Amino acid sequence: MMALAQTRLDQLSARIAGLHFPSTGWQGKARGDALSRLGEVGLPAARDEYWRYTAPAKLTAAEVKADVSKGEVAFDETDALRVVFVDGVFDAAASDDLAMDGLEIVRLADAVTDIHWAAEIYGQLETKGQTPVVRPLATLATAFATDGLLIRVTGKATRPVHVVYIGKSDTSDAILHHCVMLEKGAEMTLLESGDAAARFTSNLEVDVAEEARFHHVRLQGRNADRRVNTHIFARIAEQSTFKSFTASINGTMTRNEAVLDIVGDDAIAHVAGATVGDGRDFHNDDTVFITHAAERCESRQVYKKVLKNGATGVFQGKILVKPGAQKTDGYQISQSLLLDGDSQFLAKPELEIYADDVKCSHGSTSGAIDDTALFYLRSRGVPLRRAQSLLVLAFLAEALSEIEDEALAEDLRLRLEDWLDRHEG
Amino acid sequence: MALEENLSELEVREGVDRETIETVHAMSGKYKHGWETEIEMEFAPKGLNEDIVRLISAKNDEPEWLTEWRLAAYRRWVEMTEPTWAMVDYPEIDYQDIYYYAKPKSMEVKPKSLDEVDPKLLATYAKLGIPLKEQALLAGVEGAEPARPVAVDAVFDSVSVGTTFQAELAKAGVIFCSISEAVREHPELVKKYLGSVVPQSDNFFATLNAAVFSDGSFVYIPEGVKCPMELSTYFRINAENTGQFERTLIVAEKGSYVSYLEGCTAPKRDTNQLHAAVVELVILEDAEIKYSTVQNWFPGDENGKGGIYNFVTKRADCRGDRAKVMWTQVETGSAITWKYPSCILRGNESQGEFYSIAIANNAQQADTGTKMIHLGKNTRSRIVSKGISAGKAQNTYRGQVTMHPKAQNSRNYTQCDSLLIGDQCGAHTVPYIEVKNNSSRVEHEATTSKVDDDQLFYCRSRGMDEEEAVALVVNGFCKEVLQALPMEFAMEAQALVAISLEGSVG
Amino acid sequence: MSRSASKGLWANIMLNIKNLHVKLEDEDKVILRGVDLTVEAGKVHAIMGPNGSGKSTLSYVLSGRDGYEVTDGSAELEGEELLDMDPEERAAAGLFLAFQYPVEIPGVGNMTFLRTALNAQRKARGEEEVSAGDFLKLVREKAASLKIDADMMKRPVNVGFSGGEKKRNEILQMALLEPKMCILDETDSGLDVDAMKLVADGVNALRSEGRGFLVITHYQRLLDHIKPDVVHIMANGRIVLTGGPELALEVEKNGYTDILAGVE
Repeated sequence: MMALAQTRLDQLSARIAGLHFPSTGWQGKARGDALSRLGEVGLPAARDEYWRYTAPAKLTAAEVKADVSKGEVAFDETDALRVVFVDGVFDAAASDDLAMDGLEIVRLADAVTDIHWAAEIYGQLETKGQTPVVRPLATLATAFATDGLLIRVTGKATRPVHVVYIGKSDTSDAILHHCVMLEKGAEMTLLESGDAAARFTSNLEVDVAEEARFHHVRLQGRNADRRVNTHIFARIAEQSTFKSFTASINGTMTRNEAVLDIVGDDAIAHVAGATVGDGRDFHNDDTVFITHAAERCESRQVYKKVLKNGATGVFQGKILVKPGAQKTDGYQISQSLLLDGDSQFLAKPELEIYADDVKCSHGSTSGAIDDTALFYLRSRGVPLRRAQSLLVLAFLAEALSEIEDEALAEDLRLRLEDWLDRHEG
Repeated sequence: MALEENLSELEVREGVDRETIETVHAMSGKYKHGWETEIEMEFAPKGLNEDIVRLISAKNDEPEWLTEWRLAAYRRWVEMTEPTWAMVDYPEIDYQDIYYYAKPKSMEVKPKSLDEVDPKLLATYAKLGIPLKEQALLAGVEGAEPARPVAVDAVFDSVSVGTTFQAELAKAGVIFCSISEAVREHPELVKKYLGSVVPQSDNFFATLNAAVFSDGSFVYIPEGVKCPMELSTYFRINAENTGQFERTLIVAEKGSYVSYLEGCTAPKRDTNQLHAAVVELVILEDAEIKYSTVQNWFPGDENGKGGIYNFVTKRADCRGDRAKVMWTQVETGSAITWKYPSCILRGNESQGEFYSIAIANNAQQADTGTKMIHLGKNTRSRIVSKGISAGKAQNTYRGQVTMHPKAQNSRNYTQCDSLLIGDQCGAHTVPYIEVKNNSSRVEHEATTSKVDDDQLFYCRSRGMDEEEAVALVVNGFCKEVLQALPMEFAMEAQALVAISLEGSVG
Repeated sequence: MSRSASKGLWANIMLNIKNLHVKLEDEDKVILRGVDLTVEAGKVHAIMGPNGSGKSTLSYVLSGRDGYEVTDGSAELEGEELLDMDPEERAAAGLFLAFQYPVEIPGVGNMTFLRTALNAQRKARGEEEVSAGDFLKLVREKAASLKIDADMMKRPVNVGFSGGEKKRNEILQMALLEPKMCILDETDSGLDVDAMKLVADGVNALRSEGRGFLVITHYQRLLDHIKPDVVHIMANGRIVLTGGPELALEVEKNGYTDILAGVE
């Protein structure tokens, strides 16, 4: 680990001060705690085992600059409550009215009361997610969030909440921190899209109570030099369902971490992702840590990456089954399709299991497009390019099929197809 | 579904015959090889410093270059720290509280023939279960002929005591001797290849070995020679607080072939013993080495007391085109196993295979696996790992597969299965997969599950007790690896699998 | 018995292979050593021969599979050189190969596959694409006659199909794509009698004046169901014997060894 430079610290602190967050109460305490924790662990360094395949420098650099003009907002066909953030700060004028049946939404900056449900979540799930591996960038986001949403879901939300990130400044360094609490039996779908900023760092803490259902679908769009670092921390209770899907297109550096704690029996946790990237400057890392601490739970990780022209894809996924977490069903697949000779795929799929009556498996493959399938398609008259993109989409299909809502899946599929059409040859 | 149907559908994996079960019954003791031969030992003083390194070198009559080589390693080692990344947990080792040199006193004057070997030593082999057919041969019984010839180089603590079949091997041009003898008789070969696969400062334990290795085996197969028999070394650790640091070097010249068997046992002890060996394989064009290990060193008692700490560096370098190596290991012993036999596939079309059974019972901890480093074009590798955890044991598969940009059109297939017996143990899988070209294909599959209740029930409904049933099912689980072993070893290994799991059920 | 191909007797030549020499691209292994063969529109030609005679290689080379190098000769479809074309161009030109081992493509739905293929070929020929509705009707109609059920159409291409289902799926593609020249590579392999009859009926229904067939088979039994006009015997990379349907019966009766001994 590497100490956080004083200049960066001052810069972040100054920005927070300017945003007038409560310095006392639960939020002030959580931020203060995070700051002192960050002081202890420092920032990730290139030699850290957890950063073996991804150099953290682009995510920890003091200054960033990127063209944020090509921001891609997805799910426009879906009727959703839109909440817009510009360069990481809530934009009331561009957002819908935050009132909706079945849930309450409060802006982080507005949550000033000392007694608030978020006190149990904000920075708390993140703290828990620091063992056994530290995730300093998540701690940084807790300490220095420029904004965020606190969403409490009390019933079945009638439509999805779509958080749209717009980037305006080419040096924007947005840090978001959202908390979602689903009460017993509640349901919601959270969508995220748009190129937020030159660098986008976010925490999403989700507390899923008994029998609740949380769906999360996001698109990280296509600016070539954007940087993204996200963490999801979820606590998943009895008979509840947590599903998260990420489509990641382009970007120079993307690291998405998901830390899922299954604490109640008979729960389900799925995370999946589809990644496409082109060029030597493309680096995409999915890092997942799923802990099974209850019986009869199911977890699935499905990650697919399509890489070309020297692009790099990384997958680190771990299933930890604690003693007593019997009848665990854990599945994990990570696959890459390398479209040319320069691209690379680096994977560390781990199982750590301390209960015997379990069924856990992982698979990982890497290779080129299947020549035989390609020839079969061409022999039926499908032109080479079209045949290739059909096979690439077929490769991504297993991941996309993890999205329950077909319209959302189709939206992302078309965007991936569009990327393939633009990037052929 | 009716139970009847369930049973009829049920397929108990074949793989163990009646014999295994009978063997399990026959070997009722907890650790068969837990005795100590009373042979006078000559020790170097405890602890490690440059003088000890010089002493070891002097005792072996080594040339100046080798003494310097050891000293250089020692100086590096002092600067190094013990690795902590493996999933094994043990009390700190006091490296100054270990004897780095011990040899049987009766060996001070080298025996001219096996007849002169201390009878107690020969009795040791008998107890060890070396009594394949070559025990008689080792004892020098006239007219004793093995059904299938195996040449044995037995290492008793730190010194090689005798080798058989020297004559026949010499006729084929094969050199099979202790490494200390090789240093004297074939210095040019040793100098050329020693440390060329596992460099002097490769890792903490290998560097320690480079400084203090006392003996081990040396094999040289000349160009085009198919070694006329399987070569075998049995390692034992005998004296208390004696580290065993053997070093093995096998060189297969162009177009040659050898199958090498390594068996290890160690008597019961109350204090843990350190073992840090190095094995280097050099494989040139069109040559092939098969290296099989059955390791059943003392695992410690039910509470983890005693037992060997086994930190081994094994590596094969496929230097020539079409070179082939196959590592097969059955790891049932030791308190701590830290071992990753690896393959560097440098030659085009070279091939590496790794077949492993690792069993950890009681308080054992095993962290073992392999590395397949693909450098040449059209290289192939295959990994089949079967891990079994029982009792309170922790068993980790750790592996790395790397396809370098230039390793075009290469393939790797990895199958890595873990079996858990009981809810107090752990099974872990830590693979690293690094693919840096797209004409290569890498496939990795891993599963973890408990021993199948339906299979156990089926066996028991046919009259087996639980322990027999487990032995049977586990042997079935391991079958693919057992089949990769040479015949003589396969039988022993099957029995060993069963013995290792004693007390794991019920 | 005519021992040479009956060139020129037929006005409408569909496939014309001349002196075709082929070796493996990566090895010095010659597989075809001068194949001459002419298939006329409206006719069914059969190629029989022992294993390793080069039959399947011929089908792969004609359809443009990688891994082979043509060292000499030509193969024309209606007077157009096939060997210069990409596989998809050959398909658009009207060549169809029914694979001995139809390829499984996980993730690509059978319907998507068929529609993409059909429209790609139509587009290449300057024809209008078929609408989704029309396509569905067309597929249903063709599928019914081959006893292909809706479930098979929903699944990914050939994934989880039985041997018979795979071969029926090949014939379905043939029926949809309406090629001019059909090559059937060991279509009978792995089929029981009922499945073979179903496939043969499908093929027979497609026989027409404007279409040529080349049926490659090891055994005579398929030819009981798909009656050939001409039978060729292939051995060691060449057509060594050509005759009528009676030649197939002779193979069945006496085996290849006897017949080939008679040739040499």
